[in-house]
Amino acid sequence: MIQISNLTKRYRDAVALSQLSLKIGRGIIFGLLGPNGAGKTTLISILNGLTRFQEGDVKIFNLSLRQNIRQIRKRCAFIPQSLAFYDNLTVIENLRFFAGIQPITGQTLQDNLKRAISVNRLQPLTNRKSSTLSGGEKRRLNIAIGLLTNPDILYFDEPTIGIDPESRNDILNTIRSFKNDDKTVIYTSHYMEEIEKICDEVAIINHGKIVHQGKLQDMLQQEGNNSAIIELHKSNYTQLNRISKAIAGLQVLNAETLLLSPQDSRVMAELLAILEREHISVRQIRYQSLSLESLFINLTGREKSDV
Amino acid sequence: MFRAMLRKEFLLVLRDKHALAALFIMPSVFILIMSMALKDTFSSDRAFINYVVIDQDQTAISGELATLLKNNRLLKEYQLEITSEKQLQYALNDDLTFAVTIAPGFSTGLDSENTAIPLTLNVASDVQQNVLHLFKGELSGIITQLQIKSLLRKIEPAIPGISSKTDARLLDQSNLIQVQFNGLESSQFPTSTQQSVPSWIVFGMFFIIIPMSTIFISERRQNTLMRMNGMNISIPALFTGKIVPYMVINQIQVWLMVGVGIFIVPLLGAAPLTLGNSVAALFMVSTGLSLAAIGTSTLIAVSVNSVEQATTIGGILNILFGAIGGVMVPKFLMPPAMQSFSNVSPMSWGLEGFLDIFLRGLGTRAVVTESLALAGVGLLMLLLAWGILARRTGNGL
Repeated sequence: MIQISNLTKRYRDAVALSQLSLKIGRGIIFGLLGPNGAGKTTLISILNGLTRFQEGDVKIFNLSLRQNIRQIRKRCAFIPQSLAFYDNLTVIENLRFFAGIQPITGQTLQDNLKRAISVNRLQPLTNRKSSTLSGGEKRRLNIAIGLLTNPDILYFDEPTIGIDPESRNDILNTIRSFKNDDKTVIYTSHYMEEIEKICDEVAIINHGKIVHQGKLQDMLQQEGNNSAIIELHKSNYTQLNRISKAIAGLQVLNAETLLLSPQDSRVMAELLAILEREHISVRQIRYQSLSLESLFINLTGREKSDV
Repeated sequence: MFRAMLRKEFLLVLRDKHALAALFIMPSVFILIMSMALKDTFSSDRAFINYVVIDQDQTAISGELATLLKNNRLLKEYQLEITSEKQLQYALNDDLTFAVTIAPGFSTGLDSENTAIPLTLNVASDVQQNVLHLFKGELSGIITQLQIKSLLRKIEPAIPGISSKTDARLLDQSNLIQVQFNGLESSQFPTSTQQSVPSWIVFGMFFIIIPMSTIFISERRQNTLMRMNGMNISIPALFTGKIVPYMVINQIQVWLMVGVGIFIVPLLGAAPLTLGNSVAALFMVSTGLSLAAIGTSTLIAVSVNSVEQATTIGGILNILFGAIGGVMVPKFLMPPAMQSFSNVSPMSWGLEGFLDIFLRGLGTRAVVTESLALAGVGLLMLLLAWGILARRTGNGL
């Protein structure tokens, strides 16, 4: 469905994407994760033809993006992070406007309009002025606008920012339902539990490069089986950082927690010996199935709050 | 596509109360206020220069001078008897404009055989030079009449009855000059409405800078433009979707203000607006002006980053264009260098076009240059805006 090869995008001297390659199949929900400034939004903008790129090739529906941008756009929809509609228009006026500027007419237009309204449960709100909607309702309208052309690919750029958990679940269920219609969803989010909940595949992007890509379950199993969290009683960062340099695969999560991944008994024994020598006592060792969050920290070296 | 864009733009403007006030109410109120305020300046029926005569000569000739001033329709006698220098100073600081002091011996001085005793003219410090010249001119005319009368009385013994035969013709000078205003019937005078409506139409039309750029910047900031770009809406299509509704709004403004001039202004006692000979010419100038205003708005909207910047820059630009272009101070009152400089303002071209229609009664041929120049500037600004937006779009809005 989407094939990206050696994509490079530079903003003057800054490299936003570097030799990035990625394949996204049809009918899946694909999560794009990465810290701020990693290149997620740039990548989504390029896929929508909103930003030019210098090197590489992007093919969508087996068509080159450079040569067939208008044709590709007709089958895609971009749901931006911001609420990209008119506050002073009602819900139905907004939907009619965005439907009216696209090449859909007659019965198709009416059907798509009805579907966009019903999927997002906007029926009781159609005559409400958009500025008076709640945060969740506004997000649903933002998504409904994207569905007006019944696209094959939907790009979501952090669509649940700033809304309550109930509305968030509501939106996630709506997005998950797109799979039943054989639509491909590219989803970026700050919330890793969302990615874990709805995505079939994930790519982790850092410094403009894909650092990991695959099926979510495979990724978690593969990494999780070999990980251990070591909780300590008393230590300090300087000591722990020094130790982490001596042991391959050891990361300092905070002043009292270490992550060893991949772990094996020989490396673990070596680590415990060093800790003893440094008079750092171990409170607990947990061998666990790695969460996406831990995996993300592991791969990007950043805390969740940096995402 | 354009139907949806037009509908959207109209709905947004119609629901913006501040925009409606700036576009329709403000210029209409300006027209009413300015037509009323300037009504007397352009009236031939009411005196607007006041004066007082301090007659220290107390002769038949000094009395006649006072009578001739009193009979002048341009002048109005100040209703206060001045008896002291202090009182005179006070009156001139208040609302007296001119004080004519006829010194003792003035009458005898009119005779060429005696030494002339001049009149003393005290003038309020805020009097404009043109008003002073006007009053001095009127006074000179009266003195000339008195001198001729004095001369006639002298030659009366040689030509009996010459004084009585000549007197009436000399006193009634108004019939000696027939005023004909260019483009008007012989009995017509330009009115304050004809003078002020064109200015405020021009000024009002440029006020679309504020709602248009505000909506455009909101679209940019909320990523609505980016979304439309992703829906294959090109920049020319986007601009067309903006140009057409704002041109219609400008036309509504023009006809609303013309309507105010024709129907509302006379209800308040000022002269009604008359349309002149050419509705087509009015349409030409207003369309050119509309394009210039829309081009300016679009250029501002794509160049700045916030609504606050757009309203500040748009407001300042509007007032500057108005001040330079002769909307606030008529061009003929400006010094020659300033008059040349005023041609840099598109408002000046629009104003000249409207004055050609409303004041000079000219038609389409007379306004072609102004209309084309305005349209050209508007299109040039739109092209510039296109370039800037294309660059921004390419790099992500």
